[in-house]
Amino acid sequence: MLSKFFIIFNASLQNEFTYRLNFILWRFRNVLRLLMTYFLWRGIFVNSPQVFGYDQSQILTYILLTLIVVSIVLSSPSGERIGEEIANGDLSNYLVKPLNYLRYWFIRDVASKILNLSFNILELSLLFLWLRPIVNLPNNLISIFGFVYAISIAVGIYFLLNASLRFFAFWSPENIWSIAFLTFVFLETLSGAVFPLDILPKTVQIGLQFTPFPYLIYYPIAIFLGKIQGLEIIRILIQSTIWLFLIFRFAQFIWKKGLKTYGAYGK
Amino acid sequence: MTDPVIQVKNLKKYYSVHQKEPGLLGSLKSLFKRKYYDVKAVDNVSFEIKEGELVGFIGPNGAGKTTTLKVLSGLLYPTSGQVSVLGFTPWERKSAYQKQFSIVMGQKNQLWWDLPAIESFILNKAIYEVPDAQFQKTLDELVDLLEVRDILKVQVRKLSLGQRMKMELIAALIHSPKILFLDEPTIGLDVVMQKKIREFIQEYNKRFNATIILTSHYMEDVKQLCERVIVIDHGTILFDGKLDEIIKKFASDKTLDVTFDGKVDLEKLKEIGKIESFEYPKATINVKRSKASEAATELLKKFQVADINITEPQIEDIIRQLFTNK
Repeated sequence: MLSKFFIIFNASLQNEFTYRLNFILWRFRNVLRLLMTYFLWRGIFVNSPQVFGYDQSQILTYILLTLIVVSIVLSSPSGERIGEEIANGDLSNYLVKPLNYLRYWFIRDVASKILNLSFNILELSLLFLWLRPIVNLPNNLISIFGFVYAISIAVGIYFLLNASLRFFAFWSPENIWSIAFLTFVFLETLSGAVFPLDILPKTVQIGLQFTPFPYLIYYPIAIFLGKIQGLEIIRILIQSTIWLFLIFRFAQFIWKKGLKTYGAYGK
Repeated sequence: MTDPVIQVKNLKKYYSVHQKEPGLLGSLKSLFKRKYYDVKAVDNVSFEIKEGELVGFIGPNGAGKTTTLKVLSGLLYPTSGQVSVLGFTPWERKSAYQKQFSIVMGQKNQLWWDLPAIESFILNKAIYEVPDAQFQKTLDELVDLLEVRDILKVQVRKLSLGQRMKMELIAALIHSPKILFLDEPTIGLDVVMQKKIREFIQEYNKRFNATIILTSHYMEDVKQLCERVIVIDHGTILFDGKLDEIIKKFASDKTLDVTFDGKVDLEKLKEIGKIESFEYPKATINVKRSKASEAATELLKKFQVADINITEPQIEDIIRQLFTNK
């Protein structure tokens, strides 16, 4: 079992490295985005010490953190492949093997995330050495552990949400791309990737609590920044774990239904 | 060698397919209302295959060959009927079953496009949980049989179609499956490569006593490899038996090739049988199977004959007839 994981992981990394130029350009884009965001906000703070009630270090922390969390959680290159493979029949290659298809793509996702994350850390360290921005780091271990746990659950939730969405390719192989695109626009907004959810009206915030979306971006960040503390952290983490479980069952359900209609077409 | 390893009983697989009228207007209409109709891809098919048999499925495009293989591999749930392979029900997709069979689809590839083929083999080794020693032994054997040692470490995208097909075969066989489904393994390959793949399939069947079902559009594949064939058209089995029995069963005629040595009265010749061609001194005459030797004797009696040959029609012709008569 462990060796299966390791070999799929290993092959995924090799695969990423075959597209060297692509990879380098992708990193370049990330660094550029980081720098642009940084200088934009520094410019805003030149004349005013406070914006939206945040001081410079608070907003900088928030924005850098969002960039990182989004790049870890809301990246699932596997999703697209799952949709494609169902639509064009390549799924058949996996179905005849003693292999769990979902687990396989999750491992490949994790491989690409780890690769991205390690470069992220490298780039950020260089940025910090160079620009020495002032950021707020959590001053207690609970926030850090809570953050790490929340992120891990978020990765799982996003992967499963994305995958179950792509499973609709079983029924509608031609339209899967547009369905996915539309859903992701909503999903990004409701997860807190576009703006912090606490600027929304209270009722909307309460409503969102009953969806899995804020557990993707907003809550992990809120835990890290200390906006959520103590027992509240535990409550959020338990709720997110329940969501992960529910979505896992949902994904399995759709998958099994889908396989019944799967025609294994595509020559 | 006695118990069948593959048993298929009254297998049916119907698809519901929607119809689209031609043109953009048709597309728009199909957004709102779709007409569905049933396609009977496989309609009441039964057969049994014993261990070590190499059976050929033949039939035109859309006959139901591939659908049958897909049901046997567990890719499709049948509409009705029973299927048992090695005692397993394929569509339950038990890993104990999956470790014992393999399917190769000539028009699909399972190899990782951007990596050398060896990486895909290693991946399959892990997926099928093949022990190290066995992996090395099987790999060496297959690599030597197919003569691909020098290209193991070349990116798959850079291989030719024939080389890639060989690699696909290795990837499919690395876990030493007892049962092998080959769906058009020689499609698109040149004649030399077709022959090589064919020889390999034969060797694999003999060496490992593997049970193999093969579909192909090339009659040559089937003729060379399969003692037994199952002819399928429109989802039903037309024939199941030895290849040469097809001729006995379905060929109603035999052909007499005659070379004359003297004058020929065409009217008299017409009494013998149907004249396919006549170009003095040669003639080709079709006669009823049962009357062949009678006709030959008559020819010898009534004409001056230098040479006479009674031939069976070509298997290709019979199969073509079978499919067009339906």
